[in-house]
Amino acid sequence: MNSPAQRTGAASEGRRAPVLATRALSKDYGPVRVLSGVSLEFHAGEIHALLGENGAGKSTLIKMLAGVTAPSEGEILVDGAARRLRSVRDGQSHGIVALPQELSLVPTLGAAENIFLGLRRPGSRLLVDRRALDRDATALLERLGQRIPLDVPAGELSAVQQTMIALARALARDARVLILDEPTAALTEREAEQLFAVLRTLREAGTAIVYVSHRLEEVFALADTATVLLGGRHVWTRPAAQTSADDAVAAMIGRPPGQIYPQRETGEPALQRAGGPAALEVRDLRGHTLAGVSLQVPPGRVLGIGGLAGSGRSELLALIAGAQRPRGGAVLLGGQDITARRLAGRMRAGIVLVPEERRSQGLVMTHSVQDNIALANLGRFSRLGIASRSRERAAALRRAESLRIRATSIRQPVEELSGGNQQKVVLAKYLERSPRVLLLDEPTRGIDVGTKAEIYQLVRRLAAEGVAVLVVSSEIPELLGVADEIAVLHEGRLAGLVPAATATEESVLHLCYRKSA
Amino acid sequence: MMSSTAPAQAPSTEATRSRATIPARLASYGTLLGLVALIILFSVLRPQVFLTPLNFTNILEQIAILAIVTAVQTVVMVVGDFDLSVGALASLVGVITAQLLVAGTDPAAAVAAGLLTGLLAGAVNGALVSYLNLSAFIATLATMTSFTGLALLLSNGSTVFGLPDSFVWLGQGRLGPVPVPVVIALALVLLIWFVLSKTVLGRAWYAVGGNAEAARLSGVNVRLVRFSAFLVSGTGAALAGIVLTARLASGHPTAADALMLSSIAAVFLGITLSRAGQPTIGGTAVGLGIMGVLSNGLNIMQVNSYVQQVLTGLIIVLAVSLSRLSRRRR
Repeated sequence: MNSPAQRTGAASEGRRAPVLATRALSKDYGPVRVLSGVSLEFHAGEIHALLGENGAGKSTLIKMLAGVTAPSEGEILVDGAARRLRSVRDGQSHGIVALPQELSLVPTLGAAENIFLGLRRPGSRLLVDRRALDRDATALLERLGQRIPLDVPAGELSAVQQTMIALARALARDARVLILDEPTAALTEREAEQLFAVLRTLREAGTAIVYVSHRLEEVFALADTATVLLGGRHVWTRPAAQTSADDAVAAMIGRPPGQIYPQRETGEPALQRAGGPAALEVRDLRGHTLAGVSLQVPPGRVLGIGGLAGSGRSELLALIAGAQRPRGGAVLLGGQDITARRLAGRMRAGIVLVPEERRSQGLVMTHSVQDNIALANLGRFSRLGIASRSRERAAALRRAESLRIRATSIRQPVEELSGGNQQKVVLAKYLERSPRVLLLDEPTRGIDVGTKAEIYQLVRRLAAEGVAVLVVSSEIPELLGVADEIAVLHEGRLAGLVPAATATEESVLHLCYRKSA
Repeated sequence: MMSSTAPAQAPSTEATRSRATIPARLASYGTLLGLVALIILFSVLRPQVFLTPLNFTNILEQIAILAIVTAVQTVVMVVGDFDLSVGALASLVGVITAQLLVAGTDPAAAVAAGLLTGLLAGAVNGALVSYLNLSAFIATLATMTSFTGLALLLSNGSTVFGLPDSFVWLGQGRLGPVPVPVVIALALVLLIWFVLSKTVLGRAWYAVGGNAEAARLSGVNVRLVRFSAFLVSGTGAALAGIVLTARLASGHPTAADALMLSSIAAVFLGITLSRAGQPTIGGTAVGLGIMGVLSNGLNIMQVNSYVQQVLTGLIIVLAVSLSRLSRRRR
């Protein structure tokens, strides 16, 4: 492997001509400019990370590099010559291959078939020469140091094996520039390491790699060069060795980091809500995974819920909200047993669940911001069954303002918004219920740093108003940063309850695996 | 969807003007332009016959019964389901109502019995889909088959004649210059429009059709909402069957069967006008207009009815694929 000094030297001095470059590249969608005058260079044998919040323009940029969409202004240069990339196929003919976030493999076909899909296969035009196909596929996989059984359908292979097939597919297309969009999103840590090793090999072989990821640690472990985009503009490009994750975060959000997690105010809960503040109590609650959990959350308290995937975290929230029927146990709100009530009844009582998957559970994607916010409030915004558009609009405008939802109007379909703004719409919809107990399931998954900080502040503000909040999160720093107390679940049972002030990432992790801290 | 009917009101924090460009707008209104083009085409080809108030009334009269079925089919399709049994049910209700009338039942009571039959049949469909979780396609295909069997069984496969004039007025009478079926269809379309766009129930129908899980987690009783859509389609199908029986002055066990496919086609034509890909009553009206104008115009042009059928199929494919293309470009 090259030493960092050599690599960064090559990149910064720019002695070699870049394989791929952009010159004042811009992209407009309607009147909205999503990318503005970005000039970048991508060199052979270099891993170049693109960093930025959701909506910073990363996706738009790589789409244009791959030939998916055309620039509105500016140029793309391949080997120094301006090229118009009219399609993905066009991009590939110049050796530019993008691996989308969702790998587009055919799950029922084997590795070899997937690798050569859409290419002229070895053998005659009409008949498939299986042996030649398998031989060539094996050779490509070997270049990646992989052995993947060729007779197993891709859908049954592991996530990292599928990624490798997609990479082999890129090699089969003679990729000189490889564009990766969040390639580790579906991988475990160990699998990610495997992928990084392969990417380093490809870099040594002279491939230029454009790498998009939200995970800053891995970016800085891997990349030679980092570029930060903010609001469609180029902030800076630096050798990775001469910058840090903190610098990058500061540039991505346009202000210094450190203030992501809010200050905790302590004081009397001042809930001005129907029914006033109320404590949530859960007694011996049981479900499919949950095997008897008891908890109490007083008004104004934020309880973080940690645990491994499958420990029953999400089920606990679903059972409290009434989204799932319990196998036993009781849910009490302000001392009153509400176990018999279903989801709608518990919402009326003030218990509100913000579900984990915003696209499949939180939103009607084709409907507008206003309609989505109204959906959880239809009964409240109506008289004698007739919906009041003006009250819906007023509520949606108020929430869009206070949560700073970025949309062209509250009439815009939510499918056109960025992930962070979609999440804000889900929050708006449920906050409009003025909850006494707020259940948040992975409220910041897949959204940018800036929006995360806003959501944390919101949680603390609601707690200060006297709402009891339960937050499920896979990110332990998030639990430590936002919660007062952390309950850790292990195989459906409470493994421990620790104050956030004294807990550490390590001690919570130990509880997750149920080792004594 | 509803949101496309009103212009953007007060913008939120990051205000910009509406984003749709003019060509994109035109493409999304392609089906409407198609209707206008058809009207212009027939007006130019046969101005003396086509472009007359009398012919306009004719068209409305010809599509009135289809409009009743299509209005309720719209509701079921808003919820994301289909009702394949509407035609067979309309025929069955026609036979039952005709037999009650022939047996001397008071017309009002016979009509009420017919509507009640439709409501019950809708409840069966709704229960199968909503509470037994059968796919709407399978459930209503099965009930369609059984309804047709029942109609043939009850009528012995023959036409029931001898209906009283007071009943026949429902299908052949006029209120002033307007045929009674047109009045009934207009009233129903307006009612469905009101429910779809102004009421909580309509909003729930749209939400369930857009994302049933999100609706459930928002506190909507999804099963009841889907069930209610089938109640509407059953009752509407019965109404269509009654009006058709009055118009024909006889009950025939398969008279209304063809309404089912035409109603689904009309709703699909209407969906091409919707940004959210869900049916609207306005879109459905345009779809109905295309089917009505096309069949009337081709009749005036004396085009063979078999050729007409081929053309209708082609036009549906054309309209739906054009709107797909314009959607893909976004």
